[in-house]
Amino acid sequence: MSAELQDNLFAPEVIANPYDYYGRVREQDPVRWNKAYELWLITRYEDLVWLTRHHELFSSAVFRNDPRPAYPPIDESDLGLYEYVRNYQADQFIQHDRPEHLEMRRVMHSYFTPKSMEAWRPFVQKAIKELLDEAEEKGGMDVMRDLATPLPVLVIAQMMGVHEDERRYVRQLAEKLLYIGRGEYDRMKPLTEGMRGMIEYVSPLVDERLVKPGDDFISVLADGERRGIFSRHQVLVNTSLLLLAGHETTINLICNGTLAFLRHPGQWELFKTDPDGLAKTATEECLRYDSPVISIQRLATQDVEMRGKTLRAKDRIRWFISAANRDPEKFAEPDKFDITRWPNPHVAFGNGVHHCLGATLARVEGQEVFKALAERFPRLQLESEEFEYQPSITFRSLKALPVTWQ
Amino acid sequence: MPRNLRIRVDHDVCVGNAMCEAIAPKVFQLNDNRQSEAVDPGAETLEKILEAAENCPVSAIFVEDADTGEQLFP
Repeated sequence: MSAELQDNLFAPEVIANPYDYYGRVREQDPVRWNKAYELWLITRYEDLVWLTRHHELFSSAVFRNDPRPAYPPIDESDLGLYEYVRNYQADQFIQHDRPEHLEMRRVMHSYFTPKSMEAWRPFVQKAIKELLDEAEEKGGMDVMRDLATPLPVLVIAQMMGVHEDERRYVRQLAEKLLYIGRGEYDRMKPLTEGMRGMIEYVSPLVDERLVKPGDDFISVLADGERRGIFSRHQVLVNTSLLLLAGHETTINLICNGTLAFLRHPGQWELFKTDPDGLAKTATEECLRYDSPVISIQRLATQDVEMRGKTLRAKDRIRWFISAANRDPEKFAEPDKFDITRWPNPHVAFGNGVHHCLGATLARVEGQEVFKALAERFPRLQLESEEFEYQPSITFRSLKALPVTWQ
Repeated sequence: MPRNLRIRVDHDVCVGNAMCEAIAPKVFQLNDNRQSEAVDPGAETLEKILEAAENCPVSAIFVEDADTGEQLFP
């Protein structure tokens, strides 16, 4: 009965186990109006795919056009900072609809093709090796702090063409940008520090690349500015977006995937018999089973009927990857972690015209991390059975993941 | 003579990103399910078709020479 479903999406039990709550929503009331946050929950796989492929009905320009306040709430004294965040986020290409979205995405799209991302595999392998060398000396690590957090920044900083002695600074900025997905009342201060820091740091780099373009992606974005597709602010914000989007989500893939392996010792044993051969299907299953992103927001552009409900123009809508990827209508034994599952048409990267630009890079990073862990630390085990997650309905983010191999 | 092409879009893989349609609109069009179909393999240059295939984010597009069977992409 839908009456049994409570509405607090930030309740500790929902944050701890979104699969139970959103699974019940999917079974009992799949297109559900959530009164507490004034938004629609879309939870069935089929509905998610339909919705994301009908981008003309569901606008991505959320920060620009949704006047409702931040949630979870923030300090009242930080409302000015939230306006700064809204204006900043609104310039991201993912916060645009067609035709602008297509024009902006095309500037960057060919930088991220499967073939060009594959060329980064050796760099990713080397970065993982160096991080694991450091960890090995210590005999244990926090996968979050020591591997998952630094790795994507090393890769993206290299793509940005950041000078080696400035990487530490970029990493500090990247870690401040992560506050976008957190729930603390006072999160606006570090977040806006990270955003302003990016603007100041990247702008001179854009000037340089306009004069002397290279093969890095700041040069790609600078070319978009030269061609009149991006304003300078948009170049800076989208550089920042690539740093953030490639960071939080990859952290979650690595941590949630490692946790899934270690909680399913049979699958971990199986993986170790052939890490090379199983890395691809195993990474897809990690993406499906405990997806890095829980849900994404849209705004209805007009009244839309879904499963007998009327979604009104301007209504807020959230589509739940975490629910769709466990939909029994699409996946046999959806709650089972099976690293040989294939085909595995999960929607961890979304679908339609906004399908994740960095999907191939994320896959390469996930595959190489899981392979390296299996090969170097076959006796990997969890140090604790207690896990805490960030209070977010966007990201499925652990706070820490300590492991040992003694 | 332009080559006679056979183009296949794997609908188990296609996510409807529509970049192929943006690059080679006379060849690739979205169907009712919003997935790509190669409607007219001869309507764009081979170069454009290969660019569209390479830019597919999920590598769902396969191109071959229909006469010789030679695989042109991937």
